[in-house]
Amino acid sequence: MNSKDAEELLERAEALYRDHRLQSVREWKRRSGGLAVGYLPIYIPRELLHAQGVLPVGLMGGGDDLEVIRGDSYYQSYICHLPRSTLELGLNGSLDCLDGMIFPAICDVIRNMSGMWKMLFPDKLVRYLDLPQNFDREIGGKFYRRQLEELSQDMVALGARPLEEESLRRSMAIYNENRRLVRELWELRREEPWKVPASEFYLILRAGLVLAVEEHSRMLENYRMHVHADPGRKPMDQARVLVTGCFCEQPPLGFIKTLERAGCYIVEDDLVQIHRWFHRDIPLEGDPLENCIAAFLEDAVASPTRYIGDQEKGRELVERARRSGAEGVLFCAPSFCDPALLDQPMLVAAVEKAGIQWTGFKYTENLGQFQVIREQAGTFADSIRLWSGV
Amino acid sequence: MLSPIEPEVLLTAGIDVGSSAIKVAVLREAAADGARILAARCERIRRREPANVAEAILRETLAAAGVALDELAYVATTGEGEIIKRRTGHFYGMTAHARGGLFLDPEARAIIDIGALYARAVLMDERAKVLSHRMSSQCASGSGQFLENISRYLGVALAEIGPLSLQADRPEQCSSICAVLAETDVINMVSRGISIPNILKGIHQSMAGRYLRLLASTGARGVVLVTGGLAADRGLLSALREAATEQGSPVEIRSHENSVLAGALGAALWGAFRVRKLAGKGIALGAGGQR
Repeated sequence: MNSKDAEELLERAEALYRDHRLQSVREWKRRSGGLAVGYLPIYIPRELLHAQGVLPVGLMGGGDDLEVIRGDSYYQSYICHLPRSTLELGLNGSLDCLDGMIFPAICDVIRNMSGMWKMLFPDKLVRYLDLPQNFDREIGGKFYRRQLEELSQDMVALGARPLEEESLRRSMAIYNENRRLVRELWELRREEPWKVPASEFYLILRAGLVLAVEEHSRMLENYRMHVHADPGRKPMDQARVLVTGCFCEQPPLGFIKTLERAGCYIVEDDLVQIHRWFHRDIPLEGDPLENCIAAFLEDAVASPTRYIGDQEKGRELVERARRSGAEGVLFCAPSFCDPALLDQPMLVAAVEKAGIQWTGFKYTENLGQFQVIREQAGTFADSIRLWSGV
Repeated sequence: MLSPIEPEVLLTAGIDVGSSAIKVAVLREAAADGARILAARCERIRRREPANVAEAILRETLAAAGVALDELAYVATTGEGEIIKRRTGHFYGMTAHARGGLFLDPEARAIIDIGALYARAVLMDERAKVLSHRMSSQCASGSGQFLENISRYLGVALAEIGPLSLQADRPEQCSSICAVLAETDVINMVSRGISIPNILKGIHQSMAGRYLRLLASTGARGVVLVTGGLAADRGLLSALREAATEQGSPVEIRSHENSVLAGALGAALWGAFRVRKLAGKGIALGAGGQR
């Protein structure tokens, strides 16, 4: 892959990121004649939809280049920005190529939004996917199985093919491969962060929300080949940081670039977290649906949207920081994000106890002024590089 | 020729990309006898591409210092220096100015960096660790750009501002709140026949008042070094000292002939610091400062 190909790959990824009208999804539907169903952050079992021939389309709000006019009228000022822009996209027809919408259990705002969507778009399938908060297979597992079976039946009612074991197993293998490619690039970023800038990798991950998984895996492979071959990716003396809190509403691309330019290597984060929801591959042997359920219950990341007591989340964050060699933690939460901000004091306490430096920002997806972020991140990076261990 | 891998002696470069000028300094830093400037340059950007100007000045400064690029142990940038691709690392402006200020005047425990777009007061300790800082508000009336605009209206060259201000006998009070109001004040003063020295001194006094308030808000005491482009304006320095005396301020305002280079010097010094710190962890930077 030469540098022109790589440039084109990144341009395509950015075009997909900015394409609110989902042109690539429309083309996929034209080509395949299949169904496309949207989902909100942060997790749905995409393997299931894939096995039934449905394209799962991840929606992460309107970013920083969408003017929200009607969406604002549905929410009070103390509600985060993502539901406003998502509603705006629905109301302005950008999402009309989607045959349905799945609202996973993130927070009350998104749960209520599923009800609003039903009223606003009565002709479309709307499903609130209630993810279990009890991780016992006998309790949460049975509950989750019912949820998935109902989801699968919803797809059939839309016109998708029924869920079959073998096709689910094949889809799980395809998604395992996709997640493995993501993990490899993540590992490379930890080892040599200058080779995989967060701002580039973020676009590649965002592309995976709208492309068919097979095409996204090819994109990941091509990107990996390029970063290995590109001699222009030279290391700099930057502070290694872990960015956490941005699992649902995403910061604008300029925010990520600002952190990097201010002297930070982002070696770990929870952006577009669905690509790294599981620590390991989902096993293919045995009952594939049961394996998907077990993976969700027992191998998922410690997301703020999951109820995990006994300070486990703090321990996992510190472990992630240590594993990635992060010298500092940036708590970056969207304004008014209850799950992120409610977890934050507990996480800060764990980070402080572990002797790791930290600082915090808040953002909205349409943030346009980065000077304050630049100053804060710049001084944080300086303080790590100059004064840590002194 | 010194070797960049020789731990006792390091050669580093600092590049401070400001909004109107680029400053470059090449230093020799030795564990035994500290740092000294081998060569330094300051050049106005004048509507050129800043990255290209910085590259050209770096080459010139290295040539003047007799140092090759690959002999540098660290290329440090500050200001808007993120645009420089060949940098080893970037330091935030106040971190760099604090270090540069301490290098130029070891007694300084605060600096006030007055640049083209804003002023920034920084309180620091004896290691140049930043303890507190305050920036001027978004209004341009506390900035070098404002002074430059006024000089243009008055038909005065930038270099003449300081000497003319020192000739004032009855300075005219000027708005200290808003650049637009201040410019209107100046137009009125000209039409009222106020002399140029008295107008300039009035502006300097207005700016000095703002800077002293900034310094007071950081808790600065003792020696304060003025850095940045306006550190060379003798009229402003005089106004600052007079205002400090009148107000009974606990600060002693100082400047240095190389104050304008403080950011570049500080960046180069922090670069050397990082090389030694990383070496202590067993991490070596390659030729030209590549990590």
